[in-house]
Amino acid sequence: MLIIERMIIDILLNFTSIEQLNTFMAQPRNVAIIVGALVAIAAALPGVFLLLRKMALTSDAISHTVLLGIVVAFMIMVGLGANPDLNSPLLLIGAAAAGVVTVMLTEAIYRSGLVKADAALGLAFPFLFALAIILISHYVDNVHLDEDAVLVGEIGVAYANINVHCYEQCDSITITPDDARAEFGRRCTNCSAGGLSPRDPEAEFETYCINCGTHTAAEAWRERLIDSPPVQVRWPRAITTMGLIALVNIIFITLFYKELKLVSFDEALAGALGFRPTVLHYTLMILVSLTAVAAFDAVGSILVVAFFIIPVATAYLLTDRLSLIIILSPIFGIAGVYWGYDLARGYFWGLPLDGVLQWLDSIIELNGYTTWNTSISAAMVLMLAAIFVVVWMMSPRYGLIATIINRRLRRLQFEDQMLLVHLYNHLGGEREAEELALETLHQHLQWPRMKLERVLARVRLRQLAKIQHGQVYITQAGIEAVRNFAEQNLPVEHQEQIIRAVGD
Amino acid sequence: MTEQGKSCNWALEINDLTVAYNSKPALWDVDLRVPEGVLLAIVGPNGAGKSTLIKATLDLIPRAAGSIRIYGKPYRQARNLVGYVPQRGSVDWDFPTSVLDVTMMGLYGKIGWFKRPGKKERELAMSALEQVGIAHLAHRQISQLSGGQQQRTFLARALVQDAQVYFMDEPFAAVDAVTERAIVNILKELRERGKTVIVVHHDLQTVRDYFDWVALLNVEMVAVGTVYEAFTNDNLRKTYGGRIAGIGAASGAIDVTSTRDSAEYAEVGDAV
Repeated sequence: MLIIERMIIDILLNFTSIEQLNTFMAQPRNVAIIVGALVAIAAALPGVFLLLRKMALTSDAISHTVLLGIVVAFMIMVGLGANPDLNSPLLLIGAAAAGVVTVMLTEAIYRSGLVKADAALGLAFPFLFALAIILISHYVDNVHLDEDAVLVGEIGVAYANINVHCYEQCDSITITPDDARAEFGRRCTNCSAGGLSPRDPEAEFETYCINCGTHTAAEAWRERLIDSPPVQVRWPRAITTMGLIALVNIIFITLFYKELKLVSFDEALAGALGFRPTVLHYTLMILVSLTAVAAFDAVGSILVVAFFIIPVATAYLLTDRLSLIIILSPIFGIAGVYWGYDLARGYFWGLPLDGVLQWLDSIIELNGYTTWNTSISAAMVLMLAAIFVVVWMMSPRYGLIATIINRRLRRLQFEDQMLLVHLYNHLGGEREAEELALETLHQHLQWPRMKLERVLARVRLRQLAKIQHGQVYITQAGIEAVRNFAEQNLPVEHQEQIIRAVGD
Repeated sequence: MTEQGKSCNWALEINDLTVAYNSKPALWDVDLRVPEGVLLAIVGPNGAGKSTLIKATLDLIPRAAGSIRIYGKPYRQARNLVGYVPQRGSVDWDFPTSVLDVTMMGLYGKIGWFKRPGKKERELAMSALEQVGIAHLAHRQISQLSGGQQQRTFLARALVQDAQVYFMDEPFAAVDAVTERAIVNILKELRERGKTVIVVHHDLQTVRDYFDWVALLNVEMVAVGTVYEAFTNDNLRKTYGGRIAGIGAASGAIDVTSTRDSAEYAEVGDAV
């Protein structure tokens, strides 16, 4: 882990200085947004395939049951006499195993035929989660795994949880008594043993070196044994963990894009072609588990579900192309993280929310509740949902507004067509004079007069019909429009009828 | 096709196949030998194990006993000889992908792991789409297809596999008459090119028109053979069981009237 971190820092140092990097990483906002963005990327990629396979809620189940994996890993660590550590790789193994167990248990319950698939999921994961809670309360009391961490994570303090990487003046210093920097003092050798005061003439003294021994670079600087401080990079650990998981997910999705697409669309063919659907399925589940456990620290186990699902659902509204969904989903996730952080800190697109609350307080009584400061991860999820709602309304194809507009347009178009077909069918017919008279046309169509006038105005504007001597006639362009409409909207036989009727 | 050894005489050879779900047999000691170059219909009532037979042949479900050989080889080694058309309803047609993309999936087996389909694959897929008459829909989203167009897409996907033996699970289910004719033509064309096509079929009325071989299945194999030999009233009664009322004047050989009867058996069978 440390080696990887060092490599990342080395790369970054080609573009920036150590000082700049430290200043940047000391900002809670920067670290929170970077970690959040990595969570967004890492979760959205497997999320795409979870949604495609209609397994969105499996991510919910897994994000709960990874707790069991963590607890069991903890117990093993304690059993082996090791120091329990939230960053141990054993934790990742435990989480992956818990995810697989969840899915396997769900499938076993489902296959027993006793309950439906959704109920099987609902049976399996609370059971494993309850097991985890009981194990925590009995065996891992003293470990830092509190409710807050489970619920909302600690992305706001991710900047404080660091590894220190030293770049210059790193050597530890060993001071020996003959060193020029050695300092000496005198101490009484028989005072405590003989119960003597140092002032007593019997007391014997010896000279000893106060600062002899080995000092780390940081200690050496504190003691001013070296002239300049060690040059260190303080690197937030969460960035490395989340970054690695994101990278693994990117590599997996890139390498197996074709296979995942096939397995998600048509598992039977995938199997027949020899693509091991089960192996791919469980690999995906392991990645979901790893992502969930890595994001556990950052955003908590509940809210990570939002990162798996909401950005993907948003991208789904915009495009029908899988490759584009895969690219758009992380982008929506990152946008939610970015605006979400500011929202939690009291700014909504630059608008200070404290000011809003104070203003509200002056109008209605808020009982002094005038500071806006809330959970960062919750605010991020709120923004993800807000982005979804905005896209849902604005999306050109499936959006709410587009649907309303389309429906309205289609209704108008249909009204136009009804009028035009009437004009068309009676053109040159026996009762042409009667059927096409402007005065009585609305009665033939059984329309209110106002409606006829509206529709007539529209088709005349488009020059599809004209009025001559109190009669309404369809134009050549109108005949074309009727034909086009028939071709696009009616089954073949009807088309022919209409075209024949219209054409003759 | 050269014939090496006796087992290679059969495009598909199934011996003593038993498949069970939760210790309940779905297929019981089934034998089936299909020669090369025939169109074979598998018929039988619902729950007779028709789809199960195909899935077991393609190693998609474990078998309790028995052996399956395709041109004398187990499925693992014969994968590239086999084309598969699953039931249309088995996939989600809202999946975000295009007709051309779905068609190219038939080539994924040949492409292998990791590699992506390229220009050559796209051309192969386009020509298969032309064959089934929907090349103009190549870039259409699959959610916008009609039932018949969906089935043609699946057929094109099987055609690009360029297999020797095709397994099709109810390709005629709920398609329009035009598509049905188009599919039949493609099946006959495949047969002329020496391919073997094994089709799970529901409509007893068309068995004689579309197929030259038939397998009557109801968990056990009732009869296999040419349509002339095997598709008899007697065998149909054995397959669809006592549930068929009013068989009336059961004659030996099938004539036009009794085929109409058998269509009714199918309905009875479906209802049960």
